Amino acid sequence: MVDADKTSLVARLRASIGVAGRPFVARDAVNQPMIRHWCDAMADHNPVYTDPDFATKSAHGGIVAPPAMLNAWTMSGLGRPQSDSDDAAGSVYAALDEAGYTSVVATNSEHEYLRYLRPGDELTAVQVVSEVSDEKTTALGTGLFVTTRTEYRTQADELVGHMLFRILKFKPGTGRAAQPDSEEAQPAQRMRRPRPGISRDTRFFWDGLEAGELRIQRCEGCSALHHPPMVRCPACGSYDLGYQVSTGRGVVYSFVEPCHPRIPAFDYPYVVGLIELEEGTRLITNVVDIDPDKVEVGMPVELTMQKPDPELTLPMFRPRCPRRRETTLRFEEVAVGAELAPCPIPISRTLIVAAAIASRDYQDVHHDPALAVERGSPDIFMNILTTSGLCARYVSDWAGPDALLRKLSIRLGAPNYPGDTMTMWGSVLSATNQGGRGQVELALRGYNHIGDHVTGTVELELPSGGGEK
Amino acid sequence: MSMSFAGETAIVGIGATEFSKCSGRSTLRLAVECSDAAIQDAGLLPEQIDGMVLFTVEDNHEIDVARSLGIKELKHFSRIHHSGGAACGTIHQAAMAVHSGACDYCLVFRAFNERSEMRYGAGVQDRAPAPTPMEVDFGWSSPFGLLTPAAWVAMFATRYMHEYGATSEDFGRVAVACRRHAANNPAAFFYQKPITLEEHQQSRWIVKPLHLFDCCQESDGGQAMVVTTLERARDLPQPTAVIAAAAQGSGEDQQMMKSYYRDNISGIPEMGLCARQLWEDSGLRPDDIQTAVLYDHFTPLVLPQLEEFGFCPRGEAKNFILDGNIELGGRLPINTHGGQLGEAYIHGVNGIAEGVRQVRGSSVNQVKDMQNVLVTAATAVPTSALILSRDAH
Repeated sequence: MVDADKTSLVARLRASIGVAGRPFVARDAVNQPMIRHWCDAMADHNPVYTDPDFATKSAHGGIVAPPAMLNAWTMSGLGRPQSDSDDAAGSVYAALDEAGYTSVVATNSEHEYLRYLRPGDELTAVQVVSEVSDEKTTALGTGLFVTTRTEYRTQADELVGHMLFRILKFKPGTGRAAQPDSEEAQPAQRMRRPRPGISRDTRFFWDGLEAGELRIQRCEGCSALHHPPMVRCPACGSYDLGYQVSTGRGVVYSFVEPCHPRIPAFDYPYVVGLIELEEGTRLITNVVDIDPDKVEVGMPVELTMQKPDPELTLPMFRPRCPRRRETTLRFEEVAVGAELAPCPIPISRTLIVAAAIASRDYQDVHHDPALAVERGSPDIFMNILTTSGLCARYVSDWAGPDALLRKLSIRLGAPNYPGDTMTMWGSVLSATNQGGRGQVELALRGYNHIGDHVTGTVELELPSGGGEK
Repeated sequence: MSMSFAGETAIVGIGATEFSKCSGRSTLRLAVECSDAAIQDAGLLPEQIDGMVLFTVEDNHEIDVARSLGIKELKHFSRIHHSGGAACGTIHQAAMAVHSGACDYCLVFRAFNERSEMRYGAGVQDRAPAPTPMEVDFGWSSPFGLLTPAAWVAMFATRYMHEYGATSEDFGRVAVACRRHAANNPAAFFYQKPITLEEHQQSRWIVKPLHLFDCCQESDGGQAMVVTTLERARDLPQPTAVIAAAAQGSGEDQQMMKSYYRDNISGIPEMGLCARQLWEDSGLRPDDIQTAVLYDHFTPLVLPQLEEFGFCPRGEAKNFILDGNIELGGRLPINTHGGQLGEAYIHGVNGIAEGVRQVRGSSVNQVKDMQNVLVTAATAVPTSALILSRDAH
């Protein structure tokens, strides 16, 4: 397309800016089954969403829907267009499809929650196109960003939420990954990690890894544990040495980050940790799924078996996800600058597909690998509603069941593909007490092995004053 | 019970090649040159040498060195294991050999092209696994990328920092002191090249939390010395450096560079074992030591050495260093030749030579009223240490 055509396309699209679309009435009222599917898919176990007894006694006074579901309620459903081509936003998307920008990826979502939705609420969404960018060259491909704003009202015409949403409509096959000469297209034959030397006395340990077990040598005479293994128990003199399987839980006792010289067998940066297992023995291992700068002595970690190459299984450790708070954090307990404990979330194919369906997003790139590849992606990838749901879960697990999310603004970067791990991290940006309500703003980050999948901020309200510190 | 050779033997000759990044000669040539110099320094003839104690990791064979030097008959030859931990152990062994009568004049040397030919700092790479004890040992660390001496030491450093609140700057002060001492030493790599703490902090990462300037510079070179009995030493030309005590130490649950499985890993029990023996055998106390050569392949483990020998309480080495005690004019100037951080990395044997020079009064950074100098060998391995004293005779 020549420049003049592009300019006229953009001008045509921009004519739709500010025109309110046709109201879209949700097919179903807010309901418990959809809430349950969502919570299962997101592994969000906050009982205010599913446990009527708990919810009744909570700040909500009854069951509420996870706030990040806001735009899931008004998704059109399988086989039904999300918007009509004669509608404002729909006409923009249709025009872009026609011009060859047929692929779509969501890049930004900003939710504002005026109140949590309750079963029985019937939502109506009104969408307005607020911005159309010039043509941009991105890693995914050449395309245009389209931003919309949506208002959500109930059957009683109560305004309950807003959403700002930005997507990239792009031409498949124009991205960096699709270029045949790119570096990724020619993986170099890589050096493998050093192999362990294995003796008769230590084979049980390495065999255990193949069986998915982290084994610790145990004296059958006195039950003393030893690592690295011995041939005779120095505690009781027995030669009868067996093993027990570790729970895989421990803490970081010490750690280093090798920087120089660079060994081709390793991806940099990486951390070597000395882990003290809860059984009491220590072992050298890698601490993975965490930004090396965030590793600390004393950090709780858990086992994750990894295969750096097909012939080597190694026990590695990643941060243990913090436990979900059962009593709500009080505003007074929050310190500006404090960091939330990192939480690695394995990105399974099941998570991507189940959460896409739970959010009623039937875009093929979120469930059909062949079609995802056809559209220029190496595999299926996580949809933005799932990312919102996981961010909301991370924050509510940290803050407790009565915390109220007020705003969730996220920006997507590196896609979450199956087999990767996304580690959530957050920090307290501000904390202000407004009329007895504690307003807290957090910075959020979720990173995978490609880079930052999501960055954003969240605003929430915590109970303040009165309670015990 | 004190060892019978304590105070009964002496180092009577020292000799070295230049220290460089590329010697341009074979290690055998380096070994012979430094040994030749040490024998001449002692006022002896090669044919008088009848014993030789070397590191296990020394590539040169005793017999090859003997042929080129013109040493005719060797009555004692033995080797000490565990890399740099052997440094003072060779002197310990030589002292026992001459005191027992196994030999009269015992040569000790260490020579390598550790920079230009075989760098330890390159780490453990691409080893073919075999069920040898060494490969089984590496199996616990190498697959995870814990591959270099710097990385092995850094693991101790992180824990030490966590337990005692020491910082990278505390480690940096060790490097700054050593480089300042090296700046006065024409034989040092870093002659006239002192560094500031800021430069230390800005030097690139090798293995976090270790910067480049926390690591010694790998070197080519050779260092030799000759040991004999005190009685014979008194007939030789150089001022006598009496071996007041020498000791080896391997601690409980000792591992090579990776003794990470002990209840506590922020001390150095094997060095504590050496310290106990030295104090007992020599009858000396920390207050009797005017200067020390503390093994400094990497800065962090200098701190617990000060603690193990009782120069300061456990965990307080950072304050001891902050107060300037390890600098010239301080309570205990360390590594007055510049240490391995500043002079050269000759597996600690160059540090013993500096101890001899301090006793002789010939150090470039001579400490006043020098009576006794402490010298230690490598940390994180089975190790050794010794005290050299002026001859009161």
